[in-house]
Amino acid sequence: MICVTIAPLARGYATNVTTPTAHPQNLAATLRRLLYFALAAVALVAVLASCDTPLTTFEPRSDAAQRVHTIYIFVIVAASIVGFLVLAGMAYILWRYRERPGQKAQQIHGNATLEITWTVIPILILIAIAIPTIVWIAGTTADPDEDALHIEAVGHQWWFEFRYPGLGPNGEDLVTANELRVPVGRQVAITLEAKDVIHSFWVPQLVGKTDMVPGRTNILEKFTPTEIGTFYGQCAEFCGSAHALMRFRVHVDSHADFDRWVENMNAAPVEPEAGSVEAAGARVFGNFCARCHTIEGVSTEDIGPNLTLFGDRATLGAGILDSTPENLKAWVSNIRDIKPVLETTNAMPTFYVGDPLIDQLTEAQVDQVVAYLKSLKLR
Amino acid sequence: MAANIGILRRPVSTEGVWGWITTVDHKRIGILYGVSAFIFFLIGGIEALLMRVQLAQPDGTFVEAGTFNALFTMHGTTMVFMVVMPAGAAFFNFLVPLMIGARDVAFPRLNALSYWLFIFGAILMNFSFFKAAFPDVGWFGYAPLTTSEYTLSSSTDYWVLGLQIMGIGTTAAGFNFVITILNMRAPGMTLMRMPLFPWMTLIVSFLIIFAFPPLTIALTLLLFDRFFGTNFFDTAGAGADPLLWQHLFWIFGHPEVYILILPAMGIVSDILPTFSRKPLFGYTTVVFAGAVIAFLGFGVWAHHMFTTGLGAWATAAFAGATMAIGVPTGVKIFNWLATLWGGSIQFKTPLLFALGFISMFMLGGLSGVMHAAVPVDTQQQDTYFIVAHFHYVLFGGSIFGLTAGIYYWFPKMTGRMLSERIGKVHFWVMFIGFNMTFMPMHILGVLGMPRRVYTYSVDQNWAGLNLFVSIGAFVIAVSILLLIINIVRSARKGEAAGMNPWAAATLEWAIPSPPPHYNFAVIPTVRSQHPLWDEEANAVEPPPLPAHGEPHMPDPSYWPIVIALGITMVAGGLLIWQANTWLGLLVIAVFGFVGIRGIYGWVFEPVAEESAERVHAHH
Repeated sequence: MICVTIAPLARGYATNVTTPTAHPQNLAATLRRLLYFALAAVALVAVLASCDTPLTTFEPRSDAAQRVHTIYIFVIVAASIVGFLVLAGMAYILWRYRERPGQKAQQIHGNATLEITWTVIPILILIAIAIPTIVWIAGTTADPDEDALHIEAVGHQWWFEFRYPGLGPNGEDLVTANELRVPVGRQVAITLEAKDVIHSFWVPQLVGKTDMVPGRTNILEKFTPTEIGTFYGQCAEFCGSAHALMRFRVHVDSHADFDRWVENMNAAPVEPEAGSVEAAGARVFGNFCARCHTIEGVSTEDIGPNLTLFGDRATLGAGILDSTPENLKAWVSNIRDIKPVLETTNAMPTFYVGDPLIDQLTEAQVDQVVAYLKSLKLR
Repeated sequence: MAANIGILRRPVSTEGVWGWITTVDHKRIGILYGVSAFIFFLIGGIEALLMRVQLAQPDGTFVEAGTFNALFTMHGTTMVFMVVMPAGAAFFNFLVPLMIGARDVAFPRLNALSYWLFIFGAILMNFSFFKAAFPDVGWFGYAPLTTSEYTLSSSTDYWVLGLQIMGIGTTAAGFNFVITILNMRAPGMTLMRMPLFPWMTLIVSFLIIFAFPPLTIALTLLLFDRFFGTNFFDTAGAGADPLLWQHLFWIFGHPEVYILILPAMGIVSDILPTFSRKPLFGYTTVVFAGAVIAFLGFGVWAHHMFTTGLGAWATAAFAGATMAIGVPTGVKIFNWLATLWGGSIQFKTPLLFALGFISMFMLGGLSGVMHAAVPVDTQQQDTYFIVAHFHYVLFGGSIFGLTAGIYYWFPKMTGRMLSERIGKVHFWVMFIGFNMTFMPMHILGVLGMPRRVYTYSVDQNWAGLNLFVSIGAFVIAVSILLLIINIVRSARKGEAAGMNPWAAATLEWAIPSPPPHYNFAVIPTVRSQHPLWDEEANAVEPPPLPAHGEPHMPDPSYWPIVIALGITMVAGGLLIWQANTWLGLLVIAVFGFVGIRGIYGWVFEPVAEESAERVHAHH
């Protein structure tokens, strides 16, 4: 949307910039051209920022992201104007006072009035930036709304765990991983923790980042999503070998879809038909995967990501691959071909499928478990 | 009593390799720092190019994740600790005594020790490449990722010990230059007549003295965590706090930024008057602004931690302080522009690089103000916007400023001019390559590209800009080749420089190029800020040697390199100890003895070898 609205604007500025001015010596005209140029540059960034880049910081889709965006645009415009004015002034000085015959350097040592002036002006500009900053900081300390949706996000090397207190079976936590679901128009209050090293929770279109620090509970800025859709998240603090591949998604749903999802998350999956591929897959899951993964009503270990309703996930591997059967098969077979995961005790094992000497699972078994996982869908 | 109690007699020869190894001459130590820094600059640059090849396209397969993480860790560590700092030290060493009218620094042997600790620490850290792997925890090494639980190889141990050893040398150098500048100025050279470069050196030396202890402490605690299982940063046990590391690191790390930039500011402040043919505008203000920047620099560290969950008050206070530091920085820029105003500007290569510094550093400063606004920082922190910002400050700032210094003072150091023709091409290629590389990174940051990622996928749509950035990086590489060609050619057959090729105003231009080892045959008397412009006496040929002949300078010494070797190999023993307890303890004991013996020999070293002979003759 912004992509469409800003593009002509940018073209308009660009035209203004290239239109020859009748009186180039006219200072006002020069300044106006400079301003147009600065705005054109900003608009260009905005255009680039809005076209199909899912982590863009320039397309806010929540109240919180919008507040940050407004201040962002203000400082970027202020900084651009200052930058262009100083560069232009510098260019003028260099041209005007270049060495040439008859040019004599004036032996000036300083001028107190001038120096006070250019001390005070930056102070005023910085105060103008400081005020919205401080107001914003004060705003982050507000208590969450009465009806806010509370979520605990936990960073692991290299995936995200999301817990919804009280929404699970018997008033326990509802637990999911790597794909967060929230309803549109309701405030979301997220607390952040980490299991191992420092991670950072960041969904540029919904909320700025806050770090997940082991041993601490941090509070993410509260935000209310304003639009249904899927938004990209990314770990933003270097956390070891697979940091680049520690991603996640946030699905902003309608209230009805969200409620239906919560209900389904609390129900055990339908028992696969006896003798089906899925039933065989369920056995493979029970023998191998269940040692680390929970599926509600099937298994209870929580070393790895919770896989309840996995068949409805859009992605796998912490948001790095589309959840197609082919990708899932490759993932289960030899995870380390895809993601640089260290061989630690809590990490998913490589099953070496296809290597007859050391394989832990046969290709048929993998096909079965893929079919089973893909069958775990909403009802 | 025999004055020479050492096994090693005090060397007298300054010839050949041993002459360099045992030198205590500030000019030679300066050249050692400079050459070492340049070699590491090439290494760090190659690390950057390898990263850019990997990121030139989505899902790159040029290097693996672990290699990439090692590359950015070593690129950052190398450029900060082994390039920009020692390059600054090269200029401090070569120029400060010349500019203040002294014959050497206050403690010549300590000066040599600083250099040897730097080079041995740097070699030890890079040696990890052959033993385990390059460190891969990032240049700011956030705990608990650096604790043994999450770092399986010993590469982090090399990183900790290498930094620690370099830090000892740097701290000693800080004391050395404070004392040199406060005590050894020529008669009449009051502090407020000192050129800006020694002024900034003085301020940087104070920064070093106060900023390095927190790093030393942080590294010691981490070392204890890693070697002896203490629990300062690892949260698996009770009482540890990973954020403690961040506070300690950035209490060092932010003043460090000014340690990296203030020398370049000093260089530029001395170059501008020379090439605009007029005095620096508002000398007092520029000096004072440098001091204010340094002072405020200690109160802004937590702006590296806005997203770690500090309290609202702390966040607001550090945001305010960070914005405040923009004021003296802006004042400096305006004063530099006012220095050019009304001048007769000669566009020589040193000035081009100084102008590159002013313009590019200003852009880096403006993007810095942007993330001082905390809400904006929540979107910019740890993205390529930050990478763009600090490269505008440290490359556009420090590297352009230091390169200006190379072109300006190369004639003084070697007696020959660098080629103006190659120099100008070098400037434009570097300026264009720099902006091709780092300007689009701002946009990548706005588009959400996180830093320190070894790969990105097609659907993130960052491919075009990344390819452009990678091409820019190779354009920079070409410009560095031009610099090497210029230096190699000019060092052999460049135009002879003479004493004062730029008709500059400061004392270093009052003596021959290259200067004799005693610098000034007769220490000059100074009566103004511009001794060569305002004072007839200093502007003419240097006075002839006095009747008693050459001034007597300190003799060379073996002990600095012996002590540095002892300290470094004790650290090496600690590394061996992990694999082989007894061998490690043996190495620690042997080289611990070497180090202590070195200190003993240093303390009782005779002033000169012949004095020992004189003592003999008296018996």
